[in-house]
Amino acid sequence: MRFTEALKREIVDTSAASSIGRVAGFVVDPRTHAVTALRVKKADHDILAWDDVSAFGVDAVTVDTAARIRAPHQGVEADQPSLLGHRVLDERGVEHGAVDDVEFDPESGTVRYLLTSREEIDGARLRGIGTWAVVVSV
Amino acid sequence: MSTLLRATELHGLVVVTLGGDEIADVKDVVWRAAGGSVLGFTLNKRGLFGGPMKEVLTWAALHWVGPDAVMVPDATVLVHRDDVTGAGGAAGRGGGDVIGDDVLTEDGRRLGRVVDVIIEVEASGDVVGYEIEADEGLRSGGQRVLLPLPDTLAVSGEKLIVPAAAVDFVADDLAGFGAAVEQFRTQLRTGTS
Repeated sequence: MRFTEALKREIVDTSAASSIGRVAGFVVDPRTHAVTALRVKKADHDILAWDDVSAFGVDAVTVDTAARIRAPHQGVEADQPSLLGHRVLDERGVEHGAVDDVEFDPESGTVRYLLTSREEIDGARLRGIGTWAVVVSV
Repeated sequence: MSTLLRATELHGLVVVTLGGDEIADVKDVVWRAAGGSVLGFTLNKRGLFGGPMKEVLTWAALHWVGPDAVMVPDATVLVHRDDVTGAGGAAGRGGGDVIGDDVLTEDGRRLGRVVDVIIEVEASGDVVGYEIEADEGLRSGGQRVLLPLPDTLAVSGEKLIVPAAAVDFVADDLAGFGAAVEQFRTQLRTGTS
């Protein structure tokens, strides 16, 4: 599944059978190359940890209770810029355009590929996501 | 020998951590006292009002230098400039401040004027050659060519003196220059011609 497909997907609380928001973004851990949390569009941007997601379905993301939605932790969850549109730089200081999309596994959250206009970059090459760029190994 | 860069291309390059954060811009290249390699960089703060920083980046501490960024492991590698020794001084003579100098061979032939310094990225910032604006006789006047340098070249006086054999290994672009430097230096070491 791609980030652009998953964005705006409805998040449904299965205990109350009600909608509690929409997917507004992704927090990615560059060390594990995996999505660790979803940003949730609600009153303000809150966080739903990947481990608290019941299912990342075709039509909706399900969660057992709305109480799982929480404020971002300080650090990565609060500060990480969005991967989409972000500059890609390899560890040898060469730019590779910008991230057009990210292909990820909706079961595990593992990032499979970063897609730029020029190439598919294996998710395992992810090294850092900072204010200037997404850094990938060579 | 592989990645070669022109020293002037380093000015203004962004310094980025492997975590993806920008921490500075390159202000100037600092040469080792003998001018044979790069000691490191002085830095400017990022942004519109970015002035000079007290911290510097030593060549030994960086991860890689590329055409679009200088990569460092993390922000902790920057050190205060007073803690770095061995610098020739970015502005002083005796460093790599050779732009504009005349290049002469040992047998007294003027080859041209230095317009840039060529650095080898992998081998500890070794200066492997100069880009010179050639005099008539070497190439058509004013054409820029790459001149290989010996392993050790002390920059002292106002003129740069190179072995006469350097003329045989002059290259037109960086692509073939690495091999030319290698051959030139091998020839100097073995004494064959």
